[in-house]
Amino acid sequence: MSTIEVDRAAFLEGQIEPQPRRRRPKRKTVNTVIWFVVLLALTAIILYPLVWLVFSTFKPSSEFGQNPGLIPENPTIDNYLKVFDGIAGTPLWRFFGNSLLIAVSAVIGILASSALAAYAFARIKFKGVGVLFAAMIGTLLLPFHVIIIPQYIMFQKLELVDTYVPLILPKFLATEAFFVFLMVQFIRNIPRDMDEAARIDGAGHTRIFFSIILPLIRPALITSAIFAFIWTWNDFLGPLLYVNSPEKYPLPIALRLYNDATSTSDYGATVAVSFLALLPILIFFIVFQRFLVDGVATQGLKG
Amino acid sequence: MFEIRKRRTAVAAAAIGVSAALALTGCAGGGSEPAATYDPNEKVTLNFAFWGNDVRAGLYDQAFAAFNEEYPNITVNSSFLGFPEFWEKRQTEAAGGGLPDVMQFDYSYLRQYSENGLLLDLDPYLGTTIETDAIADNILGIGVVDGTTTGIATSTNAWGLYTNPKLLEQVGVAGYEGGGSWDDYADWMKQVTTAGSAQGISGGTDWTGRIQNFEIQLRAEGAELFSEDGEPGFDKARLAEFWEQGAEVRDPAITIPQQRLEEIYPLSGFDAAQTASELTWDNFGAGYLGNLGDSFTELGLVAPPVTKEGAKDLYLKPSMLHTISSKTDHPEAAATLVNFLVNSPEVGAIFGTNRGLPASETQLEGADLGGLDAQIRDYEESIQDRLGDAPPVPIVGAGTLEEKFRQIGQELGFGTLTVDEAVDQFFNEMDVVLNQ
Repeated sequence: MSTIEVDRAAFLEGQIEPQPRRRRPKRKTVNTVIWFVVLLALTAIILYPLVWLVFSTFKPSSEFGQNPGLIPENPTIDNYLKVFDGIAGTPLWRFFGNSLLIAVSAVIGILASSALAAYAFARIKFKGVGVLFAAMIGTLLLPFHVIIIPQYIMFQKLELVDTYVPLILPKFLATEAFFVFLMVQFIRNIPRDMDEAARIDGAGHTRIFFSIILPLIRPALITSAIFAFIWTWNDFLGPLLYVNSPEKYPLPIALRLYNDATSTSDYGATVAVSFLALLPILIFFIVFQRFLVDGVATQGLKG
Repeated sequence: MFEIRKRRTAVAAAAIGVSAALALTGCAGGGSEPAATYDPNEKVTLNFAFWGNDVRAGLYDQAFAAFNEEYPNITVNSSFLGFPEFWEKRQTEAAGGGLPDVMQFDYSYLRQYSENGLLLDLDPYLGTTIETDAIADNILGIGVVDGTTTGIATSTNAWGLYTNPKLLEQVGVAGYEGGGSWDDYADWMKQVTTAGSAQGISGGTDWTGRIQNFEIQLRAEGAELFSEDGEPGFDKARLAEFWEQGAEVRDPAITIPQQRLEEIYPLSGFDAAQTASELTWDNFGAGYLGNLGDSFTELGLVAPPVTKEGAKDLYLKPSMLHTISSKTDHPEAAATLVNFLVNSPEVGAIFGTNRGLPASETQLEGADLGGLDAQIRDYEESIQDRLGDAPPVPIVGAGTLEEKFRQIGQELGFGTLTVDEAVDQFFNEMDVVLNQ
């Protein structure tokens, strides 16, 4: 489609343009065609696994070893029917609901706490701000695996295992240094003139934060929200460690339950549920990707 | 600006609401006091964890329902995961002191958890709470680490040779009879591969990629893979000899090429109906039938090739065990549950061979075995003469070594390693694992 459009544009251009410049658009057309062919080929290569996944959701389980190709030999919707039945008495929507609850709470927590922490680091001069900031950045360098066990012991002693508290509470305490840092950098780029003007008008920190800073860091908030949502939605290790009851599992754990190395693995159900698990995040991304690019692009700009 | 501020306030309010709600639910899940003396009517809640799929989860639910008819005071909260995730979670819980009261357990982790004092010593309960009359001594011995019983085997499996009768009929070759020498087996595979070359069917897979085949060869010679102290029972020359045998079988005229196996991984050539035989544990049969699909209804199960006539090279391995956490608040109730899961005929009737062939005779009698299940039972009876004592409980890191062995087998299959390099790599890995 795009190639045709480009061709037509070049054709029209050729007619309107004066004689001596006729040759250039032709070469441009050739180049464009080559570009599109290359790009389409790359897209096909990159999208093939996803397309394979979609087609495979219609393969019966037993076909997986015998037919590695794209098109199912005996198409069936049994996989979807089975997946919608749920796992061990827990319906599928429950797992979606669990994932959504965790992800939405995490997004709210991260935005609320990181924005406040970032404001403090960027705008308030208090004792030890340098050390604390360095410590915060330091946690970025700390691999997650170092803190798994101490953190587990903590929540275990507080008897909070098998609740969502260990997954959500830390997000409300600005422990995600990545987001704090992102917002600190953003706030630092906002000219202080506005704060100062507000201060002269009698505004305190609360007022400045809510009326000046928060509206201005909107792109950073949106970027953070998108990342936070995607990361929490896909998180596997956290829920694996802290959630015990199968009816509380989020999607990434639930979709592994169709696959058991020691007995029968239901590959059909596995791909079907993987595809369904992918949808919300795909939709979320398509809806918000404009903001995502905006958020990243404006970060380099002043004011 | 005002609008945004209002929205922020709403978000903040929601945030506070959510955290308050979570704090409340968190507090509601309080724990229970440890029981000083055992009261059979005391209300007790046990956590139980197993690995498996939703089918097994349904079976366990039935088993707990039967358990509660007999012991209404004990509530079982069960939780399940796939095998690798199950162990990832247990490792963290072990370090954090939060293991479930009763667990479905794997042989390869038994030594590590026992030596670290994470599992309850079951000896005081044997013969009393946990009945042992119906379990053979050599099976009870499987769960003993350094003289202490920490696990009870629920079920056993043995190394066997699966064949696919339907594929063999297609290519027109008679099924393998079982036993024979390794050369006989290779000849048979060659016959199948030649006859099935048009349909892309191979006789089997290069068996030198599996450490168990090496193990049964060593056992036939009176050695073991590893001793109780973790000393290897073989030297570089013996391992090289084993992999040299593979060099002959790795011929595409005999076995399926590694490249094709890679394309269908995690399924095996046998799962995908591309090979007509596979050496593996006998409890894999149901999985094979599931992956092969409805057009395949039966499998052949015969004894693996014989290394040395009259040797006791095979053994019964627990397909899984039950263990109790040493930190449980209710050891007596936990032991009652283990006894029920291991011995009760009802549980046998519910599970069949889902967890392997039941180890306890009372449970085996309760199980109504037909088709493949009966075939596995008959197979384990048929190899009685070749069954020796089980090897010592696997050393810590045995799982890692088994995986390394499999990877090296793959590389040998691709021809990216020579046998000498492979032997060196394996001994280096062994050095790391055994001396850590």
